[in-house]
Parts: sequence; C-alpha cells; structure tokens
Amino acid sequence: MPALTQSIALSEPRAAARKGPSRGLDATFRTISFGAALLVLLVLAGILGSIIYGGWPAFREFGFGFLTSSAWNIGTEQYGALVAVIGTVASALLALLIGVPVSLGIAVFLTQLCPGWARKPVAMTIELLAAVPSIIYGMWGLFVFAPLFARFVQIPVSNLVEGMPVIGTILYARVPSGVGVFTAGIILAIMIVPFIASIARDMLDQIPTVLRESAYGIGCTTWEVVRHVLVPQAAVSIIGAIMLGLGRALGETMAVTFVIGNANRLSASIFDPSSTIASRIANEFNEADGMQLNALMALGCILFVITFIVLIIARLLTRRVRAA
Amino acid sequence: MDAATTLAPLAGRVRRGRRVADRTLRIGCTLATVIGAVVLGSILLMLIVQGLRGFTPALFTQPTPGPGSEGGGIANAILGSLVLTAIGIAVATPVGVMAGTYLAEYGRTSRLADVIRFLNDILLSAPSILIGLFVYTLMVRPMGSYSGWAGGVALAIIAVPVIVRTTEDMLRLVPGQLREAGAALGAPPSVVITSVTWRAASAGIVTGIILALARIAGETAPLLFTALNNNSWFSANLMGGVANLPVMIYQFALSPYPNWQGLAWAGALLITATILALSIVARLVIKPQRSR
Amino acid sequence: MNAASAISTVELSRNKAEAGRAVRIAVKDLNFYYGSFHGLKGIDLDFHDRQVTALIGPSGCGKSTLLRCFNRIYSLYPEQRAEGQILLDGKNILDSSVDLNELRSRVGMVFQKPTPFPMSIYDNVAFGLRLYERLPRSELDGRVEEALRKAALWDEVKDKLKQPGTGLSGGQQQRLCIARTVAQGPEVILFDEPTSALDPISTGRIEELIEQLRDEFTIAIVTHNMQQAARISQFTAFMYLGELIEFGPTERMFMNPTQRRTQDYITGRFG
Repeated sequence: MPALTQSIALSEPRAAARKGPSRGLDATFRTISFGAALLVLLVLAGILGSIIYGGWPAFREFGFGFLTSSAWNIGTEQYGALVAVIGTVASALLALLIGVPVSLGIAVFLTQLCPGWARKPVAMTIELLAAVPSIIYGMWGLFVFAPLFARFVQIPVSNLVEGMPVIGTILYARVPSGVGVFTAGIILAIMIVPFIASIARDMLDQIPTVLRESAYGIGCTTWEVVRHVLVPQAAVSIIGAIMLGLGRALGETMAVTFVIGNANRLSASIFDPSSTIASRIANEFNEADGMQLNALMALGCILFVITFIVLIIARLLTRRVRAA
Repeated sequence: MDAATTLAPLAGRVRRGRRVADRTLRIGCTLATVIGAVVLGSILLMLIVQGLRGFTPALFTQPTPGPGSEGGGIANAILGSLVLTAIGIAVATPVGVMAGTYLAEYGRTSRLADVIRFLNDILLSAPSILIGLFVYTLMVRPMGSYSGWAGGVALAIIAVPVIVRTTEDMLRLVPGQLREAGAALGAPPSVVITSVTWRAASAGIVTGIILALARIAGETAPLLFTALNNNSWFSANLMGGVANLPVMIYQFALSPYPNWQGLAWAGALLITATILALSIVARLVIKPQRSR
Repeated sequence: MNAASAISTVELSRNKAEAGRAVRIAVKDLNFYYGSFHGLKGIDLDFHDRQVTALIGPSGCGKSTLLRCFNRIYSLYPEQRAEGQILLDGKNILDSSVDLNELRSRVGMVFQKPTPFPMSIYDNVAFGLRLYERLPRSELDGRVEEALRKAALWDEVKDKLKQPGTGLSGGQQQRLCIARTVAQGPEVILFDEPTSALDPISTGRIEELIEQLRDEFTIAIVTHNMQQAARISQFTAFMYLGELIEFGPTERMFMNPTQRRTQDYITGRFG
C-alpha cells in the first residue's frame, strides 16, 4: 500500500522535526498579556496615587474643614469643597430625576410599543446620542437651550413663585440667564439617557417572551405587564444602570462647565449658577499654582471617592445579574 | 344563573383606572422617545446651521487666527487632533488587546483576573478629568511643559478600557471547540490565540478599536491639562503643547470674538460628523459577524 | 434471541478484527477527575494498531472523557486531571515530562462540530504543517494536496483553496478538519462523535473515509450511533457511569455480549 509506506518513511524525519515551536515564545506571549492586564491595575492606582499626592497639602492645611467650608478665596488662600460638592451632587441628582423616567420610557417604548420596523432606527438614534462628545452638549446647552430656558421657564416661573414660601426660594432665579444647576441637571440628564435606556432595553429584551405573553394572556394591560412583570424582573440591573449613569453625571466635565455658571456661591435656588468639582478643576487648573493647585487636586480626590463608590455599586449590581 | 348575569361583570373588569394608567404609560413612553429624537435632531440641526457657515477651504488650510483678528482656519487643530488620537490608539490598541486576551484566554479562573476585570469596568466610566490630572502629575509636571505626548497618553488611558472590554467579550464568543481544535493539532496557546481565536474575533475587536477611537476623538477634559493648545502652525512638535479640536472648540466657543466662535462651530460640526460616522461604521463592521 | 437483532450481520461481517495487531495504546488503571467528580474509574483498555475502536455508551458515561485523555486536551482546563497510565508505544503520555504539543501532533483529534479555522481552506490544512516544519512552498502545496486527497475533499475544493474554510458545507468542513489532522501525519486519530452534526449523506462519506484511514492510522471513535459502531469499528468498548463494562471485537460485542448491561444498551433497552 503506497500511502502506508510513504507515511512510515516520512514519520521518521517528522518525529525528529517535532521539537515544536519554542516554549520561550509562548511564555513571553503570556507574560506580555499579563503585563498589559496589570497595567490596567497600575493606571487606576496611579490615578488615585497622583491626586492623593497632589491634594495632600490641602488636606493637611485645612483638615476636615475642607469638606465643610464654602470658602474659595485665591487672595487669602482659603479653600473649601462644600460649594463644589453640593453643586456636583445636586446637578447629578437632578439629572437622575429627569433622566431616569425618560430613559425607562424609551426602553419600554422600544421593547413593548414600538412597531418592529422602527425599532432599529430609533434605537440607533438614541445610541448615537451617547457618541456625541460632551463638549457639543455643552455648546448646545449654552447657546440653544439656555436662552430658551431663561425665556420660557426661568422668567415665568420666577415671576410666579416670587414671594412664596420654600418654592419661592428654590425656583427663583436672581439673574435669569438660563445657566445654573438646573440647566446642568437637564444637560446631564440628556447625556445619561442613552446609557440607561440602552442597558434597560437590553434587560427588558432578555426577559423571556413567554412571561410577557402569559401576563397578556390573563388580560393584563401594557402598564400592568410593565409594572408587575417586566420591571421587577429587570429591577436590579436597571438600578445598576442608573448608578452607572449617576457615575457619569458626577464626573462629567465639559458639558457642565458650559452651563453651570461657574460661581462659588451657596444658593438655595436651583436656578442659580454654581460649580461642580469637575467644572472648577477644568476652569482653574491651568492658571493655578501653590495651594490652589493642591486644593483642586484635593477636590479631585473627593470626586474620585464619590464616583468610585457609585461605580462600584453600579458594577456589582449589573454584574450580579450577568452571572445569574 | 343565565349568561347575561355572568357576563355583566366582565364588561367592567377593565376598570377605568387601569385604562388611564395604561394610556398614560403609552403616551409617556412615546413622548420620552420623541424627546430623545428631538434633542438629537436639534443638536444636529444646530451644528449644521452654525457649522456649515464656517466650512471654507481656509478652514482646512489656515492655522487658528489670533484673538480678534479675522480669517484663519483650524488646520493646525485638525492636524493636532489627528496626531493625538493616532498616538492614543497606537498605544491603547496593543495594551488593550493583550490585556483583553489575558482576561479571556488565561485568566478565566484566576482571582486576580476577576479583580482586573472589575477595575477595568470601573476605569471605563471613570471621570476623564481625573485621568487628565493623573497624566499631568505623571508627565506634564516632571517634563515642565504641556506636551503632545502627554495628551496622547491621556487619550490612550481612556481608550484602553474600551478595547479591553470589547476584546474580552468578543474572544469569549469564540467557541471553545475552536481552541481545542487548535490545541489538538499541537499548537501552543500563543499560536492558537494569535492565528485562530484572534482571527475568529477580529471583526469584534476591530469594532472595539473603532469605538475607542470615536470615544477619544471628542475628549476634551483630559487634554486641557496635557496637550492644552497651541496657536502656531505646524504644532507637530510633540514635546510642546499641541493644538487640538476639542480644546480649540472649548476656548473659542467661550471667547467674545465672533470669528473664533464661528471656527468653534465649524470644528464642532467636523468632530461630531467624524465621530458619528465612526460609530456607524463600528456597527456595520460587527454586523456580518453576527449573521454568520 | 440474538442481542444484535437491530444490527445486520452483513454490516458486521466486513469488520472482522484482525488478529495479531500490535497494541498501540494501552490504558492502565486510568482515573479521571473533574474537580471532585470522579469521571473515569479504573479504566484498562488496549487500542490496536491500525484498527478502529468504537467507544459507546449512554450520555455522560465517560467515553468522550476517555478520548480526551489520549491527547490530553483536557489539560486546557485546570480543574481536570487524569491519574494512571496511558502508554503510547510504551511511553506514558500522562507523564508530566511529555511535551503536550508534540503529543498532540502525533495524536490528532476531530471534533463533534466541524471546527474550520477562520482562514482559507489551504491555510487550514497547512496550519498544522507550518507549526512543526519549515517547508518550501512546493512541498507544502504537495502535502496539502495529499492531505485533502486522503480526506476525499480534493476534487471538491481544488479550485477554491484560497476561499475561507467556513464557507464549505457541514460535511465538507468536517472532511477539511480531517484533512487538517491527517496532514500532520499523526499516528493516532481520535474522532469525537464526528457525524452527530451532519446529515446522513455526509455521515456516509465520513464513515467511508474512516474505513480508508484505517489503513494508515490507529483510530478511536466515540459514537452514539450503534449502527455506526457496528459498521466501521473492529473493536468496541462499552462504558457506563465512568466504568468500562465490556470490551472486545465488535462482532462478538454485538452478537454475544457477555454483560447484561451491554446487551441492554445494544438492544436499545436503555440509553
């Protein structure tokens, strides 16, 4: 049998050649990939390390008072984080308040109400919103939205509520310029909607159709199916998505810098200008030196801590679902 | 009991409250989607109306003009952005792909890999301004000046987690039997990975790189403290500040000079169109793989 | 009643075990663990040179696990381990000093689902060759052709060698995988249910091919299909719950099984 003899004849030199590719190459490849993965860890440690290093003098100088002081005086070198922290948290919470219902609405619309042919284009449109750079949102907010907002919302509302208790303070704009915490909240809301909506949509899509159909089968309305069947099923991961959105809103810089007004002033009105941590760093960092620079780095530390707590919670929530 | 009495309550089963709730939900959800679409439409409209005015040949051939002066273009910012983004992607691609490969191929069961995977997800949504502060401390301060290299590294740090994540996800979609088949031929892991698994996942990995590109092309905050800006023409000297579109847009848009503002709009249109095009391309790249 | 009433004696008669063939693989007291799960229990089994040995048994009986020991492909998964001895030409392949890549180039494997690599037909076949030998182009071309001919695929693909292997039909893909394995010149080929994802016509071609390959290679095949085992194998091993119940020439196994469980399985009483 020719094939047989041939193979036997060949197998001798072949066995000799079969030393194979060098093991060194394999080990090198593995080491390089491991090193690359470690780099991710190092970068995160580096970020934390560098801002702690930079912010340390400010923490040492002002101590715990840095967190509770609303001072930001370059002349007297007195710095406190309170205004920026409140501005950051307030604008991010406003963003959630506005953005979450809209995101969930979009997710429900896309998965339950939208006719099949329109699903893809509409979903794509919403997802493209996520790709638009934040600086564009800032420009849109400052040049398009703020004037309209000042004219059609701030001025009428301020006139209406003037002199009223509580809401007369919260919703009164001293200078109705259209910029301020509330505007920042709205712009942030627009920016986080695509994130939350697309995760929520994925989650709703993953719920087995059988479950939905059996709920409709016993006569549920769409509202009841959403409220009692879909939302409870997807709740944990939707909350995770919301936290992820919150993390983004807290750390967003450019869009907020355009529309928040950059004032270091504690005001009870959400229509008034203020600052966030990120906007203050963006505004002042390049001209800062000495203690101001340290104070800005210290603000960065606070932002790091706040956002990382939020992001860790978000990832734990979204991950638990992924594993299940 | 006759049929009429048993059926009577049925008519009232769908109570008014339920109908109202249902209708509210339907209207509310539709409205939310319409708002989303209107906002996107409004942004695009604004960019096109304001930006197209500035689209002249000079935009691509002239450097940025001085404060208050007329004419000029954004050619140096376009060039700078291309260079910075290219550095960012060139650094981030090997690191991201290798790290993603480690997580998907070697680190499936290791605890350290779990930690890295988790931290990478966090880095993915970390505030980009903090990355700017990090690179400032790491490079700008020791080197004594803003530099293009620092800007490129800052962008790379933003791009890496995106690439790590997509690379890992896409490699995990490659069926295990393909790896076994490679190993069964006597190929060592590195050969199986480079010539079988990477190839099988190539469309997805490329998509991840394009998405990372789209992400860093518009990043502004980390460039403020790293590459900053430079009004002079050939700013390709990477040891100094480098002009770039996002920082140019930021500074010019907030300036009091109409000429500068006009250039900012033109730059904004250019950068948004590029990014949206990249995002759409990324979607198209991944499609054929899914249908296969 | 004949135990193998379902199997025609015509099919069996072609496959008489040839006496006096050397033992190629000797399994001695093999135990296998998935973590803490004891997957194979004290297996002792011989595989004869240039004969087809079929491993049959109900799902989860360990037949695939046993097959995966012969090229130690299980070692891709850290929680899996084998204890005991598997002697390939007298040398224990479970020994830690064995070069796995070399072992796998001597013991080829074809999987349940076709696994063409995402590259051209030519590169698929050349993949294994390039790993171990630096061949001039002309010789490589010859070896690729030889392998494709042995896998009975050459005539179908000779005009489209540059096209992707994933574009072939399922049966062709499986023969491509066989060609890829054959190209390396292994001594043993392992088939893990190679036809379970294929239509009957493709299945028939693969079976014919295995019969031809027997002239040259020692073959072990896992199959769910008893007719298939009867048609193509000279020896059959019946496994159940991780144990080897009975082993012998296929003809005897199907005509006169000595174990009750073998008889029950072959006649379709369980499984």
